[in-house]
Amino acid sequence: MIDAPVTSDLPARFAAIVGQRNAISSPSDLRTYECDGLLGLRIRPEIVVLPATTDEVAACVRLASEAGMPIVPRGAGTGLSGGALPVAGGVIVGTSRMTRILEIDLPNRRMRVQPGAINLDLSRALAPAGYYYAPDPSSQSVCTIGGNVAENSGGAHCLKYGFTVNHVVAARLVTSDGSVVDIGSWNGAADALGYDLMGVVVGSEGLLGIVTEVVVRISRVPEATRTIFATFPSTDEAGAAVSAIISNGIVPAAIEMCDALAIEAIVAATGVDWPLDVGAALLMDVDGLAIETEHTADAAIALMQRCGSLEIRAPRDAAERALMWKGRKSAFAAMGRISPNYHVQDGVIPRKDIAAVLREIAQLGRDAGLRIANVFHAGDGNLHPLVLYDAAVPGEEARAEAVAGEILRVCLRYGGSVTGEHGVGRDKACYLGEQFSADDLATMQFVRAAFDPRALFNPDKMFPTPRLCGDVPGRYVPHPLETSGDVGRG
Amino acid sequence: MSAAISIAGVTPEHDLAPGDRVQLIAMVRELAAAKRTFAFAGGGTDLDFGNAPRALDAVIRTRALNRVIEYAPEDQTITVEAGMRFGALDAVLAEAGQMLPIDVGDRAQATVGGAIATNAFGSRRHRYGSIKDLIVGVEIVRPDGTLARGGGKVVKNVAGFDLPKLMVGSLGTLGAIVSATLRVFPIARATGAIALDVPPRHSLTRALLDDRALDPMAVTWSAESGLVLTFAGLEAAVDAQCTRVVTAADAAGVRASVLDADALARVLAREREVRRRGAWRATIAHAPAAAQPLPLAERATQIAYPTLGVAIVSGEAAPFTLADVERARASANVVIHAMPGRVRGQLDAWGPPPPAFPIMRALKAQFDPHGLCNPGRFIGGL
Repeated sequence: MIDAPVTSDLPARFAAIVGQRNAISSPSDLRTYECDGLLGLRIRPEIVVLPATTDEVAACVRLASEAGMPIVPRGAGTGLSGGALPVAGGVIVGTSRMTRILEIDLPNRRMRVQPGAINLDLSRALAPAGYYYAPDPSSQSVCTIGGNVAENSGGAHCLKYGFTVNHVVAARLVTSDGSVVDIGSWNGAADALGYDLMGVVVGSEGLLGIVTEVVVRISRVPEATRTIFATFPSTDEAGAAVSAIISNGIVPAAIEMCDALAIEAIVAATGVDWPLDVGAALLMDVDGLAIETEHTADAAIALMQRCGSLEIRAPRDAAERALMWKGRKSAFAAMGRISPNYHVQDGVIPRKDIAAVLREIAQLGRDAGLRIANVFHAGDGNLHPLVLYDAAVPGEEARAEAVAGEILRVCLRYGGSVTGEHGVGRDKACYLGEQFSADDLATMQFVRAAFDPRALFNPDKMFPTPRLCGDVPGRYVPHPLETSGDVGRG
Repeated sequence: MSAAISIAGVTPEHDLAPGDRVQLIAMVRELAAAKRTFAFAGGGTDLDFGNAPRALDAVIRTRALNRVIEYAPEDQTITVEAGMRFGALDAVLAEAGQMLPIDVGDRAQATVGGAIATNAFGSRRHRYGSIKDLIVGVEIVRPDGTLARGGGKVVKNVAGFDLPKLMVGSLGTLGAIVSATLRVFPIARATGAIALDVPPRHSLTRALLDDRALDPMAVTWSAESGLVLTFAGLEAAVDAQCTRVVTAADAAGVRASVLDADALARVLAREREVRRRGAWRATIAHAPAAAQPLPLAERATQIAYPTLGVAIVSGEAAPFTLADVERARASANVVIHAMPGRVRGQLDAWGPPPPAFPIMRALKAQFDPHGLCNPGRFIGGL
């Protein structure tokens, strides 16, 4: 279906819409677009177009639709699940030329932007007025709002303030036949009339269309913020502290956990002066009213101490606070300091089970002879185990993949999810069938069919198919190495 | 057995009350197989909401599906069946010092499933958001009788399409809600409220809402009480905020009164009553900073939520003319929750469908290809 020959004049017709220099079809230039943040999978697209307006996006989609060409939307390409992985023979519609902030409406606390606008640029534009855009994925200095909408991006401070879906109120959407549809609340009303299409499009991973304008809710910068850094003998005590804080009704703006291996990498990469002889660290922000923040921070510190914290630090000034957060946010990249390669996993568990699950993950690592670092959003139970390996050692990469997969099964066993913020994409399509039944997935396909009956947008993503996962969609297919006995499980 | 039930003026032939989810699924399957039309009812507190169904053979009541499936106070989530009443749920949560901040008109009767289907909200939405922000998982029985799940029980989850959000406000047109997992919150240690004697729009209101040293839980305006700012949290913080508001009011020459617990309870009771009573009841929603688009309704407004841009008008006499409503709908959403039977047919409960209506129609056709489930009650005849 996808291998059908592409009409030879298509590149010229795309170029006629977006201009020659914004229609990329030479093999060398296409290399940039062969993958997103999921580096292990590369596919060369047929063509990449970089439209500048809603009309150009719509015209490109219409052309692709007429040609029966798969369409893959792409923001900054920082996604970690392969959501922007090209489809062979398909067109990538990139939003890198649609980066403008269109309108700031302070009285109604809304802001309208183009999809290629960088997440952090929203808060920068709002800062003089004392406002900001709350969702803060670690990649916020490079990732785009359009990509955030597709992935329902989270971030450290989503614990208190919610995810992208809680902050996007309306969007202009180009659907698979090239029509332009406004969804969500464009008139500023608290809710849009009819079904909550905006709520479904956020997190739909590019399967339902391309947003060309996004209206987001903006938030007032809190009166006060206090940051606390605490170390613990092991993740057991740190996990217990997180559980104690949450179950005591404290809602920090963020609580992030790093284990010993993650601390080692972060210290090596960023130069923060975190101690290396500890088992785990928590980085916590408490914000809100000044009077309440003081009390909440003190209460949280008391709970940490009761759970066995070794040392509690507060940053001396804003610069040190920024450095602490920089340390946390650059953790994934820091892994390069301690391992040639690593596999980033993203799973969710109930918050009360953090310590138990981390023990199981450590055991999986020991069994496979691999190191696993943990650096994650502890406050909402969103784990990011990083399985370290050396691709130069035969079999290690496959072993790392297998361990990463087993970690997801542990999350599911505890009643969690196979993804908290990175998305299903191509990476986890086969795991979605372990989290949901065939009837659940069929019901989700109703949604896709309503928006995109021909499934032109991002085929081979999110949903398990026989082509991706074997004959029985969703059923686990053992890796050939496992079948051959080279790799054990559990 | 209760009196004959009627949905937006239409009385069905059959009034069914499944004892559990197995029976509910069996009933939907049977009705679907026979191509009969059906609707769902929770506590029956908002049965007039929406347009009259085109046809209605049966109503299926979810009230027996009232169990707590799983409550994890330390995770601040609860999974309950759709027929669970808010009163009973409040009692369960209060034992662990927690609450679900969804405001409904009738706490004793209204059910969680009904609140999800109608996207019920009240004053606490200012701080906690709507059900869309609090729902993390859902189980539904599709119009063909198939049980399907979306979301999950953890607070963060991006696996699959967000079916829970799709169900919020869908008024039972995509299937029956069987259970839902919702985020819950600690009950604040202290609550305090100040009433300011100002009209719905006043410069002081704007100044207070821009003040970073104030973080109200709810902001409500009513004809009786004026603007009521409710603070909840630590006692010292609540006290400090109340004092700050009184000081600002004094400086602006506005009369401010501290509401004691009884007075605040009366304000909340009044808010619930407005949303429960009246031959006429409508919600007007517009951009918060825009002027109220229904001039007549300004006088009939019973409760307004200024930060949300929402006003509830109700009464025995029509609070607006049909022409007013039509005009207001150019810039606002005017949704009629209750209207006298004689007006039905002249006044659409929703108004003209939004630009994205073709996608909504396609969604409905996917979920309910034969149009059996609450047909015609929702926007645009869905």
